[in-house]
Amino acid sequence: MSSTADTGVSEVPLAMLRDGETGVVVSVKSGYGKAWGLKKRLMDMGITPGTRITVVKSAPFHGPMEILVRGYRLAIGRGMAERIFVRVEETRAGCAEK
Amino acid sequence: MRGEITGETGLSGKKLVIALAGNANVGKSVIFNYLTKLHQHIGNWPGKTVEKAEGTLHFKGYTVDVVDLPGIYSLSTYSIEESISRRFIAVEKPDVVINVIDASVLERNLFFTLQLMELETPIVIALNQVDVASKKGIQIDFEKLEKILGVPVVPTIAVKGVGIFKLLEKAVEIFEGKLEAKPRQVKYGEEVEERIEKLAEAVRDSGLPYPARYVAIKLLEGDREIQEEVEKSKPQAAALARSLGEELERLHGHSCPTLITSERYQAANCIAREVQKLVPPVKPTLGEKLHNVTTHRVAGYFIMAASLLSLFFFVFAVGNVFSDILTSLLYGFKPFFERVLGTGFFEELVWEGVVEGLIAGASVALPYIIPFYLALYFLEDSGYLSRIAFLMDSIMHKMGLHGKAFIPLILGYGCNVPACLGCRIMETQRERLIAAFVTTLVPCAARTVIILGLVGRFAGIQWALMLYAFDLLVVFLLGRIAFRILPGEPTGLIMEMPDYRLPHLKTVLSQTWFRLLEFMKIAFPLIIVSTFTVKLLETTGILRVFTSLLAPVTVAWLGLPVETGITLLFGVLRKELALIMLATLLGAADLSKALTPVQMTVFTIVSMFYIPCVATIATLVMEFGWRKALVITLSEIVLALILGGLAFRILILAGLT
Ligand SMILES: Nc1nc2c(ncn2[C@@H]2O[C@H](COP(=O)(O)OP(=O)(O)O)[C@@H](O)[C@H]2O)c(=O)[nH]1
Ligand SMILES: [Mg+2]
Repeated sequence: MSSTADTGVSEVPLAMLRDGETGVVVSVKSGYGKAWGLKKRLMDMGITPGTRITVVKSAPFHGPMEILVRGYRLAIGRGMAERIFVRVEETRAGCAEK
Repeated sequence: MRGEITGETGLSGKKLVIALAGNANVGKSVIFNYLTKLHQHIGNWPGKTVEKAEGTLHFKGYTVDVVDLPGIYSLSTYSIEESISRRFIAVEKPDVVINVIDASVLERNLFFTLQLMELETPIVIALNQVDVASKKGIQIDFEKLEKILGVPVVPTIAVKGVGIFKLLEKAVEIFEGKLEAKPRQVKYGEEVEERIEKLAEAVRDSGLPYPARYVAIKLLEGDREIQEEVEKSKPQAAALARSLGEELERLHGHSCPTLITSERYQAANCIAREVQKLVPPVKPTLGEKLHNVTTHRVAGYFIMAASLLSLFFFVFAVGNVFSDILTSLLYGFKPFFERVLGTGFFEELVWEGVVEGLIAGASVALPYIIPFYLALYFLEDSGYLSRIAFLMDSIMHKMGLHGKAFIPLILGYGCNVPACLGCRIMETQRERLIAAFVTTLVPCAARTVIILGLVGRFAGIQWALMLYAFDLLVVFLLGRIAFRILPGEPTGLIMEMPDYRLPHLKTVLSQTWFRLLEFMKIAFPLIIVSTFTVKLLETTGILRVFTSLLAPVTVAWLGLPVETGITLLFGVLRKELALIMLATLLGAADLSKALTPVQMTVFTIVSMFYIPCVATIATLVMEFGWRKALVITLSEIVLALILGGLAFRILILAGLT
């Protein structure tokens, strides 16, 4: 596991990434109580700290995101994507990610 | 099937139980089908909406029972499928588990394999879809994989039957002890490993059906089911697990479940990297291009609309043809019947009570179910279903369901029976139930006959369309309410979008066939019994009494003629019967002479909502059990009465007659 004590690098929810951008997972927030299972499910699908995720595209109307993770294609709902915090790898020049 | 081939009789007295386990879409069903051919039985796991496929074959003097476990990504207890599989492997102890893995997504598949190995069960690995993998530029050194994992690995191409024989051979060899399968255990990081060992020691005599190390790992991984069981049998071990977990969290800065899951994935990643060679593919495959257009933000929706429309027409065009053929064929037996039983009370009871029930079942439900299953399997196995879910997710989310629920909902407009059966594509029991509930409120073809034949014809098409819109509104609102009321986790889409693949025709056909058998076994008795009961009540005159008892509801509350009581009762058998009977009972082919526009509207609203027809009820029973089917049915009757009564009053107040 890479060290995750983050030093100044901005962490953003995966949902903020634009199409084609890649991020490295820092943490997955579980939410409280009942949502525990969802966090576990995300991790079981391979979204664990240190994993590289590439956003391919998002479905319209605030729909789910298509991402590439561990060599396969996964669709995750917006709500899920809000909970996955990533460190952006290739920030294109001029794109300040909020 | 299991009945005719038992281990004790016959020459082959030796029995072997094999379970197929692995991720979804890896090829388990194709392998299962290849192995068991016509000796299958597809049903549900007891009390669950999860499919259980079992079958038998003979091999080297063994009678081999094969169980196709549901497709899962982990062995925690996130979903019913995972609990079912885990229990089956740990408690029923199959002799060998064939772990089917997708060579083109090795890492994620190995994550599951590593957990299977933690269960310390004898494993053979089917490294399937090597053809797909090599097209994607992935070469796997299976012998090296075999060495690293310590279990036999057989490369297979299930759709061509390549390697399946070898797979069976290995399974038998393991069973006979000729082949040693010594699954290597994943070594976690030092700090974690220390604590696992300590905890394993503490839970050694906890009485759970799992190996101690497995229990320890799952405790640290935060598995609810195991935590509860250990809490009961060895509370001090559960406490130890908590404190060890906290220690690890302090050390690593991540929650303990995160830590364990990451380390296991790390191990899978290392193995995958060691055994696979990646050659970047020359050009994007056809599947890649297909994926891009079918999930496109504009084109995707057009393609979806076109495919769903064709699916809809396919199901109902094929269904109608078969339905007509079957109906006339079965009615052709009537003269024969009359000759044997004579014409009279008895003949009428048998014919109308039993045979017509059979005909109704055979001609209403069956013809649509076959093409529907074919279409659904096609959608699912090709991978297109997940793209539809992707596109429709945000809309369906508004009623507490995710994108996949769109399919049953659309199908509901044709026939509620296949639509309810389709609800099993949802992930959790709760989502299946909500989806089935709202689906039964969608006006099916039979209800369309009433809407168009009554309101559409006599009050105008715009009123009919308004009723459809009203129905959609109700479906939407009730979906939301059910979502709020039913306990459970919030829905969130986490769905693999597998590469497009050509479905395996033989597998699709045989799954359709065995599902159909299951349906007939459950639905037909129910359909026949209820038809018989209604006919009996009618011929004995009790039905008349019944209708007058219903008068307070039909006449006073709904403002309908008293005859509608009978028709609504018959409508339970087949919804369109309600309209046909109404015409005969009121003695008017022109219903506009017998009913006022308000009465027509109210009658239509009530028939739209009041109860799923008996075939649908049977399906609900099959999928969810008696209690839930009853609750759905009763709540829909209440709903229909409320809506009908309100509509009556509002329309009158609005000055209509
Ligand atoms: N090309 C190829 N396709 C396969 C292979 N095995 C399975 N498939 C396809 O993969 C899809 C999923 O297979 P299925 O048996 O339904 O997967 P299950 O979810 O594990 O039961 C189907 O469309 C199959 O036709 C294989 O070895 N090669
Ligand atoms: Mg399957």
